[in-house]
Amino acid sequence: MIGMWLSGLLRVRGGRLLATASGVMVAVALLSLLGGFLSQTRATMTSQSVRTVSVDWQVQVADGADPNAVLSTVRGLDGTKAALPVGYAGTSGLEARTGGTLQTTGPGSVLGLPADYARTFPGEIRVLAGHGQGVLLAQQTAANLHAAPGDTIAVKRAGLPAVRLRVDGVVELPLADSLFQKVGAPPQSQPSAPPDNIVLLPQRTWHTVFDPLAVPRPDLVRTQIHTLRGHGLPPDPAAAYTAATGSAHNAEVRLAGAGLVGDNLGAVLDAARADALYAQLLFLFLGVPGSVLAAALTWAVAQAGAGRRRKEQALLRTRGATVRQLVGLAAVEAVVVAVAGTAGGLALAALVGRVALHTAGVPLSWALAASAVGFGVAGATVLLPARYDARRATVASGRTAVARRPAPHPAWWAMAAVLLAGSLAVFRATSTTTYALVLAPEGTASLSVDYWAFAGPALLWAGGAVLAWLLADLLLRRGRPLLQRLFRPAAGALAGTVAAGVSRQRGAVLRSVVLLALACAFAASTAVFNSTYRQQAEVDAVLTNGADVTVTTSTNGATGTADAAKLAGVPGVQHVEPVQHRFAYVGADLQDLYGVQPKSIVSAGRLQDAYFSGGTASGLMDRLARRPDALLVSAETAHDFQLRPGDQVRLRLTDARTGGPRTIPFHFAGVVKEFPTAPKDSFLVANSSYIARTTGSAAVGTLLVDTGGTAQQSVAARARTLLGPNAHVTDLPSSRTVIGSSLTAVDLAGLTRVELGFALVIAAAAGGLVLALGLAERRRTLALASVLGARGRQLSGFVWSEAALVAVAGGACGAVLGWSLSQMLVKVLSGVFDPPPSQVAVPWAYLLATAAVTVAALAAAAWAAVRHARRPPLTELREL
Amino acid sequence: MTANGTETVTPGGEQLVVCTDAARTYGTGPGAVVAVHGASCAVTAGAGIAVVGPSGSGKSTLLHLMAGLDRPTAGRVAHPGLPEGSLPRHIGVVFQGPSLLPPLTAVENVALPLRIDGVAQAEADARAFAALEELGLEALASKLPDELSAGQAQRVAVARVLARRPRLILADEPTGQLDRESAGQVMGVLLAAAATLGAAVLVSTHDMRVADALPTRWSMADGRLVLPDGTAEEDRAEEDRAEERLAGKRRAGERQEREAR
Repeated sequence: MIGMWLSGLLRVRGGRLLATASGVMVAVALLSLLGGFLSQTRATMTSQSVRTVSVDWQVQVADGADPNAVLSTVRGLDGTKAALPVGYAGTSGLEARTGGTLQTTGPGSVLGLPADYARTFPGEIRVLAGHGQGVLLAQQTAANLHAAPGDTIAVKRAGLPAVRLRVDGVVELPLADSLFQKVGAPPQSQPSAPPDNIVLLPQRTWHTVFDPLAVPRPDLVRTQIHTLRGHGLPPDPAAAYTAATGSAHNAEVRLAGAGLVGDNLGAVLDAARADALYAQLLFLFLGVPGSVLAAALTWAVAQAGAGRRRKEQALLRTRGATVRQLVGLAAVEAVVVAVAGTAGGLALAALVGRVALHTAGVPLSWALAASAVGFGVAGATVLLPARYDARRATVASGRTAVARRPAPHPAWWAMAAVLLAGSLAVFRATSTTTYALVLAPEGTASLSVDYWAFAGPALLWAGGAVLAWLLADLLLRRGRPLLQRLFRPAAGALAGTVAAGVSRQRGAVLRSVVLLALACAFAASTAVFNSTYRQQAEVDAVLTNGADVTVTTSTNGATGTADAAKLAGVPGVQHVEPVQHRFAYVGADLQDLYGVQPKSIVSAGRLQDAYFSGGTASGLMDRLARRPDALLVSAETAHDFQLRPGDQVRLRLTDARTGGPRTIPFHFAGVVKEFPTAPKDSFLVANSSYIARTTGSAAVGTLLVDTGGTAQQSVAARARTLLGPNAHVTDLPSSRTVIGSSLTAVDLAGLTRVELGFALVIAAAAGGLVLALGLAERRRTLALASVLGARGRQLSGFVWSEAALVAVAGGACGAVLGWSLSQMLVKVLSGVFDPPPSQVAVPWAYLLATAAVTVAALAAAAWAAVRHARRPPLTELREL
Repeated sequence: MTANGTETVTPGGEQLVVCTDAARTYGTGPGAVVAVHGASCAVTAGAGIAVVGPSGSGKSTLLHLMAGLDRPTAGRVAHPGLPEGSLPRHIGVVFQGPSLLPPLTAVENVALPLRIDGVAQAEADARAFAALEELGLEALASKLPDELSAGQAQRVAVARVLARRPRLILADEPTGQLDRESAGQVMGVLLAAAATLGAAVLVSTHDMRVADALPTRWSMADGRLVLPDGTAEEDRAEEDRAEERLAGKRRAGERQEREAR
């Protein structure tokens, strides 16, 4: 019997089975793909994080301990590939006489490096001028001293005579923050920036210079063991973090107090594990709704054939079939759907993964999980309803084509209100500034996630679906006069009849409307989130790099107007914006000061309103333009100094005419939170003309080059050739790959394409497929109307009216829900954005394409139904 | 008795339907099934005809050809007394099985053909309700088809035909799925209403009691239409022979099937 039933099913209901299996396929494929992407992303995060570290451990030798013993212990540890001793000494100041003037600096650090240090830790030192051996000056130090290779500097020692050294090169220290960390100190006690003055010496020279200092001032001289570790870490950042910190703790135990481990590897993995958790949350927020929607689509497709299934069951029961046999037959159908859908889904995931995400395949664990979901969806959508009908329905009720549908119980309205109110409450809670979805306490192995955050979107999804259903039901039940008016253009004189039919057979229409609304909401929210993510990643890159191409000074601190003129002539350059970069003391606090041209910086620096508070970017630049001594400060500075608009702020700047400091009055005009090339902490923005006049120098520190968003790398290469090694040239595409967290460094483009592709397919299927199946259930109605003399146009009126209703009601509900979900997702997941967006980015092109494809799918379904309705009615009735 | 091929016109007035060697074959090649062999007949205004014959003899197909719901594969079916472009308006068809539109109430079902014809909503509703009232069904006006018994549904289907005031009513086994009492009621209202409207009635049936209610009887067997020209006894004897032939064929078929097993 089962074989006969199965063969009949495949022969007669092949199309419907295929449609149901397609729903399962979409759910399985989406889960597999996102799961595969998640696994790959985590592994990428780990490897990318590890790559950013050059010195894995900086082991600080304890006071009184023997550096050689510590070195020997570290070298003997499992996993240590190389360990080199590095001397750290404090200098009370540097001095250089160049160009007939004497430059002096404040205290600084002098490092003693072994000969093979640069080769062992290749990311630590980048040579800008001269060669990489001998006495090397950090770029900023060289700028402060106006020193270049060949010049002589004096290194002052506390209580001892200064030592004169000849400079061999100028270098950049890309990882200076970790290089000069305070080992063992908690994050809040770490210095906010590396020292301004840094000299690197060969180890032998360093010992010659500072060994005498170690005796009277041991506090100024210390040794670190810089260690390179083998990176056989687990791919998951959390597991890798645990393994890395475990090794570091083990080392400290073995050192028995002789050394303290500065665990750079653990620190980056600590950040990566939080990012990995965010990636997982992204998966949950964006992927799971898609899979649930695909499951709902499967249910709707299966449900569209429920009437027919009930009739078949009724027929079988009159022939003596038992409930057990009926359930057995439904189980066969469910298994066919599950096997076909799961196999198709895994194949689709493998194909799409290879093409769009460049993954090797679906990981076994995810394939198994997705298969389980596929079988679950098939069971829940095919077997369970059939089992319910077989147990509960009578033969008479099974034959019923259209029964009166009662109004939803009022409790549903209450439920929708509770769900939406709950969602709003979570939204408000996550809108507060202190909210953080993921808390990653430094130094602890555990991460905490605010799982309540999931409740916001989940409640909104559920509440939105229930409300869309209730509203559509209300419209169909009570709004028949309105529907009649709406249907008149398509249905003409039969508008009332069509409205009555749609109202009484509203189950299928409601399914179509709600599913279309959810699919539109999924497509819209996913698209808006992804495009906001892209927008913010771009903002981050622009903030970090400053412009398409950015040129900064190297040694003389004055990239001047001549350089700007040279750059303006480079093909592809549209505008060159000079920005002064100085250092100014606010009280005892040294801050970066940027001198800008207020009229042109807004467009040249791509300034956004979100960078400022208390006004728009243009508004605050206008204030600067109107008042030459206006000053924008960071929120922290405004708070620390209790500044109010108009207050005078006195900054100490270096006067180029005297070489000494000079106090210059400014007036507080507003708060700046972000600025191109500026550090994330405190900085100042003022008029460049005022700074030039008051300091006697119009020297420009940075040139922001606008290339119109194209050819950045070729313009950067040309700029390097034109301006020589003293100019530090960076371009936007290169910055994108090195900035931000490991999460933003992960290319989400493939995932976005996949998600948006699936969203498009689900929206089209929710509209077209579900409508087509619903209309297929009306073939009898249309055939009978045709027998009664209804003409082609009148039959079309039935179909087009319903299609238009589904499109308008589903689209409207979907637009509102999609907009709400977008706001919610961007707010709840604000932690993945750096900086947080001031407003969401709406990808109109994609949304219009989705709308067009969905309308086309609805139109295709309606067209097919109309075509079917024009067949000879007797043929149609005979087949039903 | 005149067999197929010779046109026999039922005596009376204007010809509403004329079949000339009309045949209907389903499928092609060796598997083709001839449902109606070249049938020639005519139905005139005011006629009352019963087409009798066993199930599968081609009665329904003949009615569908006459109603314009199907096209002959050979010969022709003409409607000289009816405007060709609006046959559904003038030919009412009562089907064998459920034929009410499931999502519409009884009164909406009855009003639907009128709305299709362009009758204003209010007038269509009034005429539909009057038709239901005429058949004593006004209490069922707001019921959905699934809330009606088979007999009630069939009477509503009759009301739907009558509301349109057709000139020809074709009823295909209208009592086929009804018990005797319901069948009597349906035929009673059908014939009474037809008489009131002055419409011709052609009823296909295998129930002789139904056939006896009509003045003229045609018979069908194996897709061949036989029109009466002899005595009533001769006609009935011919019908009996036709039924016997069909029963013999069935028995032979069943025997072959058993042997094949």
